[in-house]
Amino acid sequence: MFRYIWIKEMKGELFTWKSTLWLIISSLLLSFTSYSFLTNKELCLLDQTEMLWLLGEIIVGTGLLIVAIDASSTVTGELENETVESLFLSPMTLCDFVLGKFLACLTLWGFIFIVSVPYMLVTSAGSRLGSAFISYVFLLGTLVVIGFILLVFTLSFLYRSSKNTLTTSLIILMALAVPAVFSSTLKNNPFGWLLSKVNPVDNAFSALDNVLVDGQTALSQNWPFLLPLLIFCLLMLAFMAYSVRCFSSEGIIRNE
Amino acid sequence: MNPIIHAVNLTKSYGNKKALDGLSFDIAAGEFLGFLGPNGAGKTTTIRILTGIIKTDEGHFTIDGPDLPDKRQILGVMPESRGFYPWMTPMEYLGFFADLYRIPGKEQATDILLSQVGLSAQRNSRIGTFSRGMKQRLSLARALCNKPKILFLDEPTLGLDPQGQEDIQNLFTKLHQQGITIFLSSHLLDEVAQLCSRVVIIHHGRLVAQGSLAELQVQIGSQNSTLKDIFLTLTKA
Repeated sequence: MFRYIWIKEMKGELFTWKSTLWLIISSLLLSFTSYSFLTNKELCLLDQTEMLWLLGEIIVGTGLLIVAIDASSTVTGELENETVESLFLSPMTLCDFVLGKFLACLTLWGFIFIVSVPYMLVTSAGSRLGSAFISYVFLLGTLVVIGFILLVFTLSFLYRSSKNTLTTSLIILMALAVPAVFSSTLKNNPFGWLLSKVNPVDNAFSALDNVLVDGQTALSQNWPFLLPLLIFCLLMLAFMAYSVRCFSSEGIIRNE
Repeated sequence: MNPIIHAVNLTKSYGNKKALDGLSFDIAAGEFLGFLGPNGAGKTTTIRILTGIIKTDEGHFTIDGPDLPDKRQILGVMPESRGFYPWMTPMEYLGFFADLYRIPGKEQATDILLSQVGLSAQRNSRIGTFSRGMKQRLSLARALCNKPKILFLDEPTLGLDPQGQEDIQNLFTKLHQQGITIFLSSHLLDEVAQLCSRVVIIHHGRLVAQGSLAELQVQIGSQNSTLKDIFLTLTKA
């Protein structure tokens, strides 16, 4: 049953130009970044591995931002546009609903990744890191995006309002992303170190650094970064299960 | 009477406000029931409880016996909230719901539904361009897409022009003749008097009267009263 919700979401995203517009914007951003890396006199001086790391951060960061904005309205949109009652009058479960919506948001990340592949190929040309770069951007981006979609869905079921969900999601995203770009000296004190260890965005960026700058491309060498990401996803799944339970017990329609 | 819906002591509160306060009633199979009450009496809450959208705080109900695993398969609902996906065409919209109900041959089924509600000519137009009346018709088509045994209608003709009202009312009569039990919540008392064989009137979430028009006339002691007179008398307090 979830696949009908998934297909409906994808058709809606394409028809309303929502996703298409996001893909064009991310493509323009990546074009500008890649062009600058390859032609700007000062950026050209960057080591290629540093350049790839920065590009990887931009791809994952852009994907996170776009998916967070999109996911903020995917569940709440049904509530605000009063389409949810008709949906739940059909023999569809809340699980089908959540899974269909989740896959739609994840598909958007898939499209963003596909759009970014040519840019990754161009900037990694001539280095032996091309396949590792693409694989790790996909793996790390997918893990962070999964966790973030679950977080946004949690907020959606609790708030039932797209504005509140979007605002809170963006604040959380900023709170996670800003410390991730702190210089390594700031992470040397215990608090900075702890923050860096539990921050999923920081772990994704650090794993990219480990792969591209330090050349540690084996999966086993990146477990210290992947494990916190997996824990983040599991935690968000638990939070979402709780929020879905609250939503279900309050009723699909809530009279204030 | 063999009740297809049997509701006992339905109670629901929203914060401090009691929307339903021990409401009990039965509906017989094949009956066309009018469900009346002033604004805020608890009509929509009752429909939402019976269709499983919200849960009751107290009381219980059965629909078509206690053993039916998923009651939604036999219910058709035209809810008060009529949200649509404006980017879809009626064919896509009904096709989507036909998929959710796992209806085989959905193209043919949606074609029949659209001609039933008089929207065949607009089958490929975007719903976003539809008038209110066309959306009401589409909402009815969606309610009928699983060939329901019981049809819940919450203000189905609200906002329709007289011709639109008559078309929809004729369709209700046809559906009732086919054996569908109809639960009609409406403020249009003439419509209810014309269509329904029995009426349930609620006020402040409580049952105040039920029966045929003749029975209600006896109840208030005025043989020549219209349904409007009866309604106003019973809900004046």
